[in-house]
Amino acid sequence: MTVCIETKNVSKFFGGLTAVNEVNLIVEEQSIASIIGPNGAGKTTLFNCISGYYVPEGGEILFYGAPIHGQPTYQVAALGIARTYQNIRLFGQMTAIENVMVGQYPRFKAGWVDAILATRRERNEEKQAIQEGRRLLKFVGLEGLGDQLALNLPYGAQRRLEIARALANKPRLLLLDEPTAGMNPQETDQMTHFIRSLRDELGITILLIEHDMRVVMDISDQITVLDYGTKIAEGQAKEIQSNQRVIEAYLGPDVTSLTEKYQLRKKQRHDAKS
Amino acid sequence: MRSSAVDKGLRVGVIFGIIIVTMFLIGFTVTGAGLVGKIFGVSSSYSAPPSLIFFSIFMVLLGVWAGASAAARPLTEEDSLRRALTAGFMAGASAGFISAIVGLIFGTLAGKGIDPRTYLPSVSPDSIRTFLFNQPVPLGSLLMFGLLTVSGVGAAFVSHFLRNNNALKTGLHNTSAAAWNLIGSERVSRVTKNPYARYAALLVFAAILIILPRTWGGYWNYVFGTVGIYIILGLGLNIITGWAGQLVIGYVAFFAVGAYTFALLTAPEPHNLVLNFWVALVLGVLAAGISGLLIGLPILNLRGDYLAIVTLGLAEIIRILLKSDLMTAYTNGPRGIRDIGGPTLLGQSFISDVDFMYLIILAVLVVTFIATRLQNSRTGKAWYAINLDETVARATGINAFVSKLLALSLSAAIAGFAGVLFASRNQFTGPDDHVLMVSINVICLVIVGGIGNIPGIFLGAFALKGLPEILRETESYRLLIFGVLLVLMMRLRPEGFLPAKRPALEKSAASKAVGEEV
Repeated sequence: MTVCIETKNVSKFFGGLTAVNEVNLIVEEQSIASIIGPNGAGKTTLFNCISGYYVPEGGEILFYGAPIHGQPTYQVAALGIARTYQNIRLFGQMTAIENVMVGQYPRFKAGWVDAILATRRERNEEKQAIQEGRRLLKFVGLEGLGDQLALNLPYGAQRRLEIARALANKPRLLLLDEPTAGMNPQETDQMTHFIRSLRDELGITILLIEHDMRVVMDISDQITVLDYGTKIAEGQAKEIQSNQRVIEAYLGPDVTSLTEKYQLRKKQRHDAKS
Repeated sequence: MRSSAVDKGLRVGVIFGIIIVTMFLIGFTVTGAGLVGKIFGVSSSYSAPPSLIFFSIFMVLLGVWAGASAAARPLTEEDSLRRALTAGFMAGASAGFISAIVGLIFGTLAGKGIDPRTYLPSVSPDSIRTFLFNQPVPLGSLLMFGLLTVSGVGAAFVSHFLRNNNALKTGLHNTSAAAWNLIGSERVSRVTKNPYARYAALLVFAAILIILPRTWGGYWNYVFGTVGIYIILGLGLNIITGWAGQLVIGYVAFFAVGAYTFALLTAPEPHNLVLNFWVALVLGVLAAGISGLLIGLPILNLRGDYLAIVTLGLAEIIRILLKSDLMTAYTNGPRGIRDIGGPTLLGQSFISDVDFMYLIILAVLVVTFIATRLQNSRTGKAWYAINLDETVARATGINAFVSKLLALSLSAAIAGFAGVLFASRNQFTGPDDHVLMVSINVICLVIVGGIGNIPGIFLGAFALKGLPEILRETESYRLLIFGVLLVLMMRLRPEGFLPAKRPALEKSAASKAVGEEV
């Protein structure tokens, strides 16, 4: 298997705060990897490092073996890394199809001179962009809503439109930041199914941050757990569920001792009875 | 318990009272009367006292406005005639009361020989006398009170009647429905969609543009030439501010670069280069575009409103440099540059006002064409994406720095183009042509018209540069009216008179696809 994205000892500090601390992560091509962890664990910061929004202070980020850390966001995007946001960030005053067309920006070449002269290149590209936009809208189930302003779409449709915009540049790696946040169980199921189809049908590698454990355990090939910026566990769903450090990170260190105490007392009572 | 009608009437009345008193204190009551006179075709002169009839009509109009807005349909209560009349009466009476008191005070002061002009330069004895309808002080105040009260009540009655008269309502409804049916009908749409009908409309439009400058004389050519130059400026500023969302306050800087480059290249003094008009025009536009590029290079990587501050500084530096002794040898200093060249073609020179009007119309058409082509292109979409969310735009692969730089250079080049036309038409340009007020005007016209929208900019330029020429009486209140207009715009139509709309790409593509299948 080829490695799609790899982080080597990536660290990011904000003043004295260590947001991401020497995180190593390897995601193989065409797999679905999840990053989980309590609030403030540095998940989104790691995403921002990968997508080029932050420059990590230490470590390397390799995309198909080539270093991408320190490159500006737009170049990282052009290489084929697309992302969505925790709180949906669409171009609200643009229509849905225009959002998808902006997403295709790096794939085309026509500049301002082409636009003024309406050259053949400009016209062909515009036609292609609209066709591709309609195809993608259909793919995410927004056919017929293309001319609505993005901000007028319902919540679930906005989530899907954001993914359509991310797909527009034909990415090889898709970063999804809490794709099912704010969804009801039914919508969540649909989204889970949809994410899986992205990998199976389009062959895209997916790295996602998610809080809904049902989703994470259901679709992940590999789960990484962050806490206070440090990777504390890695593995498949089963391993993570029974990992002591993960339980401590989520529920606090006293949880285990409490259960132990409970067990102990139960045993004592049992002993006293008999 | 006070009823809501009394409350509302009082509130509206006090607001209108304050408006009337403010108008009186700044002398606008006289101007307003003059404007009313103009509607009836009577031009007023500045020296003669305003006509009483027109002043009364002006006051009645204000009273009607107050009464009608107080008696507007209530949201929660029943819309009864009694309620409307109460509200209208209270509005008219309270506005009248406030105005009458002010009239009484100033009338008495004037009677005692005190001239309020020491403190309030616009309150002349003439305007006080008019405010009291040329009557003795107590009677005049009473008349003011009565006039406003009656007009308030009358307006309330009429507005209530118009709202609740069923016959009238159904009549209006039927007429408007018939009109809409006609507009939407097959026959009309067949005509509007017919390409020949469009060509015909275009021909008529072109004929108007050709004939008008020849017939309406030099003065109107000058006024509408200025409007045209401001349309070009507005279209230019709209690229960087309306589409790319980067506020530029010192837009006049690029206008000045264009105008001075052209002036220095074509005028006999101070350098005696006297280049050909067209060569100098291209060089002027290029110089402005390059100045935009250079000023953008160090700052456009930053986010936020740095560009606004830096261009503001640039505009002032350029103006002060042009005025300074340091530059006198190169730019003639505060005297400005004279005898700037006019357009020539095949050895013939075209410098009459009609020729210039044609040139400006042509320039407006060219710039509009360029702006329209750019608006929804890939580049235009990238600009708008940066405007809406720069972080996300970068993450979708847009090089925001280069995009913004391009927008600023194009904007600057268009401003330079306007500057060239301006300098060439006036055959003179000096530091005082390039004050900050030009930038403010352009920003205003873009905002008022509808930011980001090309027809809106035309409307804005006519409203802000054409209307003040037509309404000469309001000359001294131009800034005040600007301010009021902007505040009202922000309250009532924050997106401008003609807000921008996005194109329906999916629908048009879908209909095309259907056409191909069939």
